[in-house]
Amino acid sequence: MKHSTGSGTEAGWRNARWGWGLWLVGTIALVAFLWWDARAWLQDAPQATFRTTKLNLWPLEILWWLFVPAILLVQRSLTRVDRHWPWALGLHGLLAAVITGLFIIAQAGRLLLVNHLPVSFLPVVVDDMRWLGEWSYLPALIYLAVILALYAFGYYREWRAGQRLTHQLQVANAQLETRLVRASLDALKMQLHPHFLFNTLNSITSLIRNNRTREAEDIVAGLGGLLRRSLDHRQEAMDTLEHELDFLRRYFEIESIRFQDRLKVEYEIDPKCLRAEVPSLLLQPLAENAMKHGISKDPAARLLRISAARDGTRLVLTVYNDGPPLPKDEAALNLGIGLQNSHARLLMLYGDEARLRLRDTPPHGVRAEIILPFRPSPSP
Amino acid sequence: MTTTPRLHWWLSLALLALCGGVVVVFLGPQKFLPVRARPAGDENVLRIVYSQALRPDPHVRPAPISSYNLFILSLWEPLVECDPATGEPRPAAAASWSWSSDYRTLTLKLRPDARWSNGDRVTAADFVRGWLRLLRQRVALAYALFPVKNAEAYHRGARDKPAAVGLRALDDFTLQVELDEPRTSLVAELADPLLAPLHESTEKVLAEYRFYKQPASLVTNGPFRLIGVSGDGYRLESCPFYHGRAQVRLAGVQFIRATYAMTGALMVAAGEADVVPSMSYAPEREWPSNRPTVVESELTLGVAANFFNVTRGPLRDLRVRRALALALNRENLIEESDRTRMVPAWSWVPDMPGRKGLALFEENSAQARQLLAEAGYPGGRGLPVLRMSLPLWMEGDTYAVASTERWFRELGVRTYVAYEAPAARNERLNAGDYDITYGSLVATVPDAADLLSTFTMPAEYTETKWHDDETSRLLAAANHKTGVERLALLEQAERRAMAAVPAVPLMFERRHTLRSSEVQGWYGDPLARQSPKRLWLELVPAMSPGDPTPGT
Repeated sequence: MKHSTGSGTEAGWRNARWGWGLWLVGTIALVAFLWWDARAWLQDAPQATFRTTKLNLWPLEILWWLFVPAILLVQRSLTRVDRHWPWALGLHGLLAAVITGLFIIAQAGRLLLVNHLPVSFLPVVVDDMRWLGEWSYLPALIYLAVILALYAFGYYREWRAGQRLTHQLQVANAQLETRLVRASLDALKMQLHPHFLFNTLNSITSLIRNNRTREAEDIVAGLGGLLRRSLDHRQEAMDTLEHELDFLRRYFEIESIRFQDRLKVEYEIDPKCLRAEVPSLLLQPLAENAMKHGISKDPAARLLRISAARDGTRLVLTVYNDGPPLPKDEAALNLGIGLQNSHARLLMLYGDEARLRLRDTPPHGVRAEIILPFRPSPSP
Repeated sequence: MTTTPRLHWWLSLALLALCGGVVVVFLGPQKFLPVRARPAGDENVLRIVYSQALRPDPHVRPAPISSYNLFILSLWEPLVECDPATGEPRPAAAASWSWSSDYRTLTLKLRPDARWSNGDRVTAADFVRGWLRLLRQRVALAYALFPVKNAEAYHRGARDKPAAVGLRALDDFTLQVELDEPRTSLVAELADPLLAPLHESTEKVLAEYRFYKQPASLVTNGPFRLIGVSGDGYRLESCPFYHGRAQVRLAGVQFIRATYAMTGALMVAAGEADVVPSMSYAPEREWPSNRPTVVESELTLGVAANFFNVTRGPLRDLRVRRALALALNRENLIEESDRTRMVPAWSWVPDMPGRKGLALFEENSAQARQLLAEAGYPGGRGLPVLRMSLPLWMEGDTYAVASTERWFRELGVRTYVAYEAPAARNERLNAGDYDITYGSLVATVPDAADLLSTFTMPAEYTETKWHDDETSRLLAAANHKTGVERLALLEQAERRAMAAVPAVPLMFERRHTLRSSEVQGWYGDPLARQSPKRLWLELVPAMSPGDPTPGT
């Protein structure tokens, strides 16, 4: 099966034209030189002899130059009948015989001219050459070897084209898969914003009810900044840890208004990790969970600690709160849409290489831990 | 992808045309082909084909010898020539000759009317010049003059003064040759084309290859002179200064180069040439045209033989040697394809002009077995394996080992054939560590003594290690005699040597010459020394295709 693109065919024709052109120029040059060399003999000059011309002295193998286009043409034509291999085999055999015959005739022609014999003696000279053991069957072998090589080259080229096609299909599949994953991620991200908005709007409502309008205004302003930033990165699946922490700080600014002075947020961040690549809005659901299920459940609880460290080839992110331990029945259960989404995104992006887990830290407190491959962000 | 075999119509047509063309050429007509008419002006020009390079230099002798001889003897004339019928020397450049009483000094009188092709007189000094040049050349051909006093020493550099060589131009027309030993055959030996005279200008002309562009610059004393040189050969015309020009019937001779002798034969068939010398075998193919031709055949002066080392083991016994000779079958030895070339040899010296070959050997297997039994080896039992030493290049030569098969079948004699490299074989031959060898001898002198001289050499230098004083004496005596007396002594020597069976002659070889029937006067010569001056042309009208093919 042949596979070619439009531009490939065009390039092929261009190459073929070049090839034919070169062959034609070579042939004209060759004929002109041979004619020039033999001009004295051709003009029947006295003392001139065919014997000393290049036509006689040069090896007969020069004939291959004239045969080359014909061989290529025939081979190209016969390739189309490769499913009828007996035809191809028979035709190539016939051609090998004809080319061998032509070489013998050419040699006999030389003998004829060198020995001043009339053309009518050509069959006799050919027969005498057989007596003398001067019939060379080498051209047949050369022809068959060349044809075999051409077939081998042709099949190799087709195989390579097949390989390229397979590779292209694989790339296309991968791209398609990536697009699907990205679409899924976008869909999951879209779920984060309504969830957060719902909680924040609840807080604002609560503040307004308690006549804490000033704080409500601050929260609205903070929320506006947060949403703007969120919209800026909406199209990006990945972000740097630095941006992620910045986003988190704005988030806590809103939450600290809600919790007044009770909330204490600590950061333990290894500076080397700031340029690490992380899924965008990965930490926010964890922080939200810590606020919802930890700080807000226990009036004594007030500490929330965010940490980031590198462990060899891995990045370890933790969100700790000193609230009550996980409910027994909830530890292995669903902890909310945000956490589920984070888990799903990690799975899609890293497979087995990433992990998310929640743990009690007796006597009190809960720690959420995310482990994922450490990859520096390609963006500056 | 199409699955139907489809070629462009024009490609199919081209292939078909090519196939048709090739078939037509391969199966084209090969009989009754047209014969070209002789070019105008060449009606009396003999066209001779040669297939190996020729050079107009008497001291460069390429093979085959007959083309060379025809060429050189067209351009140069030696002192004597041999009568085709009797082999006796006849005057050529020399008018007469005489021997001193001890047969050590030969005095030759040159023709006063002999002229070079430029009109200069041919003098005795020209012969001395030519012969000294031959001796100065470091080629094996110089042996032709080794019988001359100090000639070999001069050739090998042991003597550097030409005056030391036994050659004297006593005056313009008198040449004296002094020999180391008596050798009455020397006169006939002077017919060798190698011993042509040289004009004072010739050496330089040959050295500078001036004859290519100025053919007339090559001054020669023969019946023809050079007038044209090209890649296709040489053109000669009858020399107006030649003393015997009245007898020369050809207007000229053209030597035409052919790629092979076989293509030369086709040139004769096509009317492009008249003579192909040195056809190694008679053409067996159907003759392609109706041009009448004749294949001339002559025995060469040589012999192929088995040589027995008579100093080795059982071969010391004459009965064993005779048994081996009797057990042969020469007719069967010769391969079918060689029937026209090889001839069974029943003597050491073949037929030659003035001397018929002797019948010295017979074949009788029963007698051979009896002789072997008498020698103590009935059925070959007890006879050690005989070692046959052959040179490496003879591997594959069926004639070399054909006898061994016969000896095993008829006598139960086993032979080990060892093919050896030259150095190892020479060492073995010198040490005498072999039983049998095979080889050929070719005479360079038209005299039986040349072939027989192998039996007069010191035993250590021969392959047979055989020496017989009486045989040597007979040959030495023959060198003091001429004519019938000499022939009688040579016959006695041959009979005596062959009776001792130091070697067994197996085959003689024939040389073939293809000539058009128009060529007249052709004669046989064992050394292929035909001279074109004796030939002429009688043109016959071309035959029509319906005429019967002439026998060849």
